[in-house]
Amino acid sequence: MAKVEMKYAEIIAPVETAKELFDYLQVRSVMEVKKLDEIDGLSYFETGPVVSSIEKYLDTAQTALEIIDKYAPAKSSLIDSLKGLPEMSESDYLKKSDEADEILGICLKICNAEKEISEDKALISRSQAAIDAVEPWLKLDVPMQFKGTETSKAIIGTLPDDYTAEKFAIALAPYLDGEERYECEIISHSADRSCVFILAHNEAYERVLSALRSLEFAFPSDPTKHAPEVRYGRLRNKIAEAEAEIESDTALIKELAANRDDIKFACDWFSIKHDRYTALEQTSAGDSIVAFAGYIPADKCETLSKELESRFSAAVEVRDPPDEDDVPVLLRNRPFAAAVEPITEMYAMPAKDDIDPNPVMSIFYYILFGLMLSDAGYGLLMAIGCGIAKFKFKVTGKLKKTVDMYFWCGLATVFWGVLFGSFFGDIIPRISAEFFDKTLVVPWAADTPGSIALWFEPVNDPMKLLCYSFLFGIIHLFFGLGCAFVKMWKQGNKTGAVFDCVPVFLLILGIVPIGAGILNVTVPAILTTIGKYLAIAGSVLIVLTAGRSSKNIAGKLGIGLYGLYNTASGWLSDILSYSRLLALGLCTGVIATVVNTLGCIPSNKIVKTVMLTAVFIFGHVVNMAINLIGTYVHTNRLQYVEFFAKFYEGGGRSFTPLRTNTKYYKVKED
Amino acid sequence: MSFGILFAILGGVLAAVGGGIGSAIGVGRVGRAAAGVVTEDPSKFGKVLILEILPGTQGLYGFLIAFLLLTQIGVMGGSPIQLTTAQGLMYFAACLPMAICGFISALHQANAAVSGVSIVAKRPEESGKAIIFAAMVETYAVLALLISILAMFNITANIGA
Repeated sequence: MAKVEMKYAEIIAPVETAKELFDYLQVRSVMEVKKLDEIDGLSYFETGPVVSSIEKYLDTAQTALEIIDKYAPAKSSLIDSLKGLPEMSESDYLKKSDEADEILGICLKICNAEKEISEDKALISRSQAAIDAVEPWLKLDVPMQFKGTETSKAIIGTLPDDYTAEKFAIALAPYLDGEERYECEIISHSADRSCVFILAHNEAYERVLSALRSLEFAFPSDPTKHAPEVRYGRLRNKIAEAEAEIESDTALIKELAANRDDIKFACDWFSIKHDRYTALEQTSAGDSIVAFAGYIPADKCETLSKELESRFSAAVEVRDPPDEDDVPVLLRNRPFAAAVEPITEMYAMPAKDDIDPNPVMSIFYYILFGLMLSDAGYGLLMAIGCGIAKFKFKVTGKLKKTVDMYFWCGLATVFWGVLFGSFFGDIIPRISAEFFDKTLVVPWAADTPGSIALWFEPVNDPMKLLCYSFLFGIIHLFFGLGCAFVKMWKQGNKTGAVFDCVPVFLLILGIVPIGAGILNVTVPAILTTIGKYLAIAGSVLIVLTAGRSSKNIAGKLGIGLYGLYNTASGWLSDILSYSRLLALGLCTGVIATVVNTLGCIPSNKIVKTVMLTAVFIFGHVVNMAINLIGTYVHTNRLQYVEFFAKFYEGGGRSFTPLRTNTKYYKVKED
Repeated sequence: MSFGILFAILGGVLAAVGGGIGSAIGVGRVGRAAAGVVTEDPSKFGKVLILEILPGTQGLYGFLIAFLLLTQIGVMGGSPIQLTTAQGLMYFAACLPMAICGFISALHQANAAVSGVSIVAKRPEESGKAIIFAAMVETYAVLALLISILAMFNITANIGA
């Protein structure tokens, strides 16, 4: 119930069974494949080209899936995501894999259709820009490249201002002497541009042109060969064609979207194949054999090696992994402890010498989480929500662990909420007081009317909860120190275990009654006296032993004193850190009470009911969300910084066996 | 008429304003960084949202202190208790840790969270660590909250006695 023991296996098999053997290993998912050192006469399998072509197929299938999700989104709900992956039996799976090429064809069609659509869209926007340029010229019935007749020359272009025929003549007048013979037509005009057509007599051409230049005349950048209308029509047709093509391609994609499940399967299939060929790369192959190594959980070794020997006539040699190896770590815990594994993994996997912290950590995680959220109503909501996900939808995998964790955290929160009499803040006594004009008195809290706390209300006695927070902290830390003891003892460092842990236990145990006295807790005098001697004994032991690795007396003493200082200051700050248990607990409770107070401001009972309902729902949702995040973060912190610092090293590598790592279907063994 | 009640309320107001301004700036700062990440990859919304909320708690703590104070001195219930100037100043002092530390810690937590956002952008699988880095700063806001609460409650207990 903790870290699973790993064995190291070396396997030699006939080359013709290699592919089947890896298929089998992948379905069993119990072995992490590893390269063997180079052996004479054998060379590593060269699967690079195959892997890269599979990657290409996988990419095509995934792109196709994204495209159909864009054009024909699948309906999915939160509930679907809780249900987990649909299952597929191994035989169905193998049958379906024959269709993979066909499905890939469909994927290619989808990708091509999408490519055409984007090309067409680009074409449409280009044509639209051209249309915008030619539109002002539509009234011109000669080509824009028209040069003129034998006796006249045409000037076609734009002026950067708004001209009517009259205004244009006036604007031109100062630059001409009135003798020139020319004909002018304003084709179109808008606020910042006028398109003009001028037919000037050959003699007048130069002067008219220079007059126009003074008005900042410009020739069009792309004059039409035919009348502008022709180009306009052609562009229109292009757009219509492109639009029709987009429509038909969209329809095609939507039609092909019916193959969504097949495409999902193809994605899984190619990623499985990809993993297998990547694993094959680790093998050394000769003319007739393949050889490879790997890590296997100890309890799976026997069955696996028997199977391999009988089915694939392989030779399997199992032994303990060499000491210098980077052995992967696999955790196996009961569900109660397994639920916090993701939290530990987020910090780091246990290193080779670490003990699995999850069993000890889980119980504290729930207790501390509950203490900080500490509202029975919120806890109940969490437990019910996670309970539904857990029992009705049967979530699996990592999600299951998370759901489990919040389920237990929820129950712990209910526990503390009941002790502190907080159920959506003070909603029960408040309703009794506001709507029935009666101060609620419950039998278990008869001496504090208006409170339903089984133990006490933190708001009324924060000092008491502060003391208990420190107490819980000390217990938590002692368990951490206990883990350190066990770890060192198991490693064979028995002197270390005794000298590094026992004096600290003594010192802290001794200081507790003295510290409690400072916080105005009445402690029997005898305990304080015993505490004093324990603390002195602990301190002396630390001074004597902390420097034991040093060679000379002065060094031993110096390091010993420094060790005492370190222990004392470190433990002081660690224990004080648990005061957050009180602060966050108060925070949830007080804000929940504020929400209820706000809801009860109106004096008319009907208005009050409406107001309270609205404020209640909104306020408690927000309060619960914010405090959930805060509680999660601070519980993690207490585990990582205070608890783990006592013994946990981390830095191990997760066990990643060759397996069917699928995204859409789960392959079930027949 | 003494200035006691005025000083007391001023303290509460400072706590709410200090924490509130700090959180507003902090959440805004992280929000900008978070928006940048979401433009690239909308699926990271959930992860960056948590980081964005983290510097928001100081505002909440400040609000909490202000509310507790108003309740303690009876302003909330409509019947303010009589405070001497000295007593009012005591409440004022009690609010200062939250006002000052809330404001400053929110800003620094925001800086840590902004850097955390870039962790999420580059290595989304390590987002838990990003949260922890930012949460480290929060410790000092929590300690300030705690000392303000304890001071206030004990002042009330002493005045009442």
